[in-house]
Amino acid sequence: MKIGIPRALLYFNYYPFWKTFFEELNHETVLSSKTTNRVLDMGVKSCVDDACLPVKLFHGHVMDLIGKADRIFIPRLISVEPGEYICPKFIGLPEMVKNSVPNLPELIVIDFNAHRNAEREYDGCKAVGKALGAGLKQINGALEKAKSAQREYENRLLQGYNPLKLLDQGAAEAQRIPGKGSGKGRIALIGHPYLLYDQHINMNICSKLEKRGYQPLFPENIGKDSIDAACAGLPKKLFWSYGQRLLGSGLHMLERGMVSGIVFISSFGCGIDSFIGELLQRFNHRSFKVPYTTITLDEHSGQAGFDTRLEAFTDMLEWRRVDGCHIPSYGQNVHTCQSPF
Amino acid sequence: MVVTFPHMGKMYIPVKALFDDLGVKVVIPPPISKKTLETGTRLSPEMACLPLKINMGNYLESIARGADTIVLSGSCGPCRFGYYGVVQKEILRDLGYDIDVVIIDTPQLGIRAFMEKIRKITGNQPWFKVLKAFSNASDIVALVDELLDASLMKRPREMVPGETDRVMQQFESDFAEAVGSSEIKALIGKYMEKIRSIREKAGVSPLRIGLVGEIYTLIEPFVNLNVERKLGRLGVEVHRGITINEWVKQHLSLDFSYKRKQKRILKKAEPYLNLCVGGHAWQTVASTVNYSDEGLDGVIQVMPFGCMPEIVAESILPSIASDRSFPIMTLTVDELTGEAGYMTRLEAFVDLLSQKKGILA
Repeated sequence: MKIGIPRALLYFNYYPFWKTFFEELNHETVLSSKTTNRVLDMGVKSCVDDACLPVKLFHGHVMDLIGKADRIFIPRLISVEPGEYICPKFIGLPEMVKNSVPNLPELIVIDFNAHRNAEREYDGCKAVGKALGAGLKQINGALEKAKSAQREYENRLLQGYNPLKLLDQGAAEAQRIPGKGSGKGRIALIGHPYLLYDQHINMNICSKLEKRGYQPLFPENIGKDSIDAACAGLPKKLFWSYGQRLLGSGLHMLERGMVSGIVFISSFGCGIDSFIGELLQRFNHRSFKVPYTTITLDEHSGQAGFDTRLEAFTDMLEWRRVDGCHIPSYGQNVHTCQSPF
Repeated sequence: MVVTFPHMGKMYIPVKALFDDLGVKVVIPPPISKKTLETGTRLSPEMACLPLKINMGNYLESIARGADTIVLSGSCGPCRFGYYGVVQKEILRDLGYDIDVVIIDTPQLGIRAFMEKIRKITGNQPWFKVLKAFSNASDIVALVDELLDASLMKRPREMVPGETDRVMQQFESDFAEAVGSSEIKALIGKYMEKIRSIREKAGVSPLRIGLVGEIYTLIEPFVNLNVERKLGRLGVEVHRGITINEWVKQHLSLDFSYKRKQKRILKKAEPYLNLCVGGHAWQTVASTVNYSDEGLDGVIQVMPFGCMPEIVAESILPSIASDRSFPIMTLTVDELTGEAGYMTRLEAFVDLLSQKKGILA
């Protein structure tokens, strides 16, 4: 049977697991095509208006799979860490799709819920494996292989690889040792994986930064321990796993002086980013004072304005280092002139 | 210590009773106004949901009146409300206010922390007094909601248009004078009588509409542009799925028969949504099905723009509407919502329902 996997949302985090799991159960997997305007338009038209760009895009990718696959896989990620959650829209994702997209083939919905107990996270996989007609032994074997594929992928990310290149180019890219850019330094790209690694909706921000001589650093490049340590100072536990990753990795990069600037990428209407971005920005202004900008993406984003902002940001980084801070504006020196490089 | 708290509908009534009984000085934020909203919007993250912005406005107006401690409840996600306190505190800190923000999480999250925070606010009052004050306050919660429900039933039936609203307004101005739970209870009792004695038109069988959606938006009339009153004036009997009383029963009490009833209603959502997605989305879907079973004429969902859980419910509601041919409308509010457009949509919806029912307005 051909199982369709939408190339959207947490595909960028869990694809190796999903692919291996289904393939070990002797099913073929097929990916939806990469995001294009057509995919985006289909999503925008079928999804409720109030949803955020990535959820609309997911709808588009599901529609793209209709006719290409016998069944479509929709993960329901409730919780990936005990006591934590992901965005509510991820929990209700299968229902949103079912009620918005017409003519759907049968769906395969796997619940991932580690909220009460981390051991139970894969119970959903077992149930679905059984429903697909596999024996217990085969399912357990598939789960082990899937977990180890996932581990290998995550280890590579920690070594500084670009997730997008790893997923797209596979082994060839994995041979390459991650570079440090052409010497201008590193810029933290903080945002949800589905914005950072979807080249269409982020208008290729990674290669744009690389072309200007900067090496992007992603939240996925920072280990869980460092993230937890950076978040330990918060007055209340942050209950969104991805919120924690964004804020924690950002703070970790700032504390270690790993980056010369932060670009926070958010999608319009993102509930989690509205809080995480705010906190990161305030903490940065208080203690680190590294140049910071927020870029909000939605289905109307225009390339020109986006490029202008990115250029302005990198110009600021460079002029700040050279002579920007010797020209006071309105009689005042606005920069601290501590060279971040 | 002078305590303040954010507004949420008539929540200030039981909260004031509670603090009065405990001898804690309290500042009730001035009623939410355009200015509150503007102040809050200016200081809050642009993409934050509306309640957070209005809370901020409440705080600043209370601080100007001498408050130095903010008390608000918390939760543990996945809805954003659980992290309000933290973000709000950081904003206040950057504004230069040295304000204590006490977030009271539900006791389920750790009974110890819960008790400590209560201690912190109540000072050295003996526990039995604290318990008594809490039990009085929860009585008042129930009484206030009864009063509101009575006014909802009265509005479409009143002989003199606007009389119910006049009585309710009088209640609020009299409330300013009341101190302590016993005075407040007596006052509510008195106004309950007044509401009951409002004369009714004979032989009215009004349209019945259920309100579902996000709790804050439903409960706070400033935010929902007084949807209950507007519908009442249009001759509609309004039913509410979510009230402060229900929330208290669900989270702070041991009323098992109530919880069983809630579970039964939630089960009705099964064909559409069968798990909690945070906030009140599950209840929204379940109550909608329930209202359709109970034979109401329609349902209106109210939510703040960008509310994560309600967006899930919003995408499910059209299926319920078409499966049961049951009219449902979603109203999204934010700081830019204009009253005229809102009114037009309400009128159109009511017209539609009355035509469907065969009553020509």
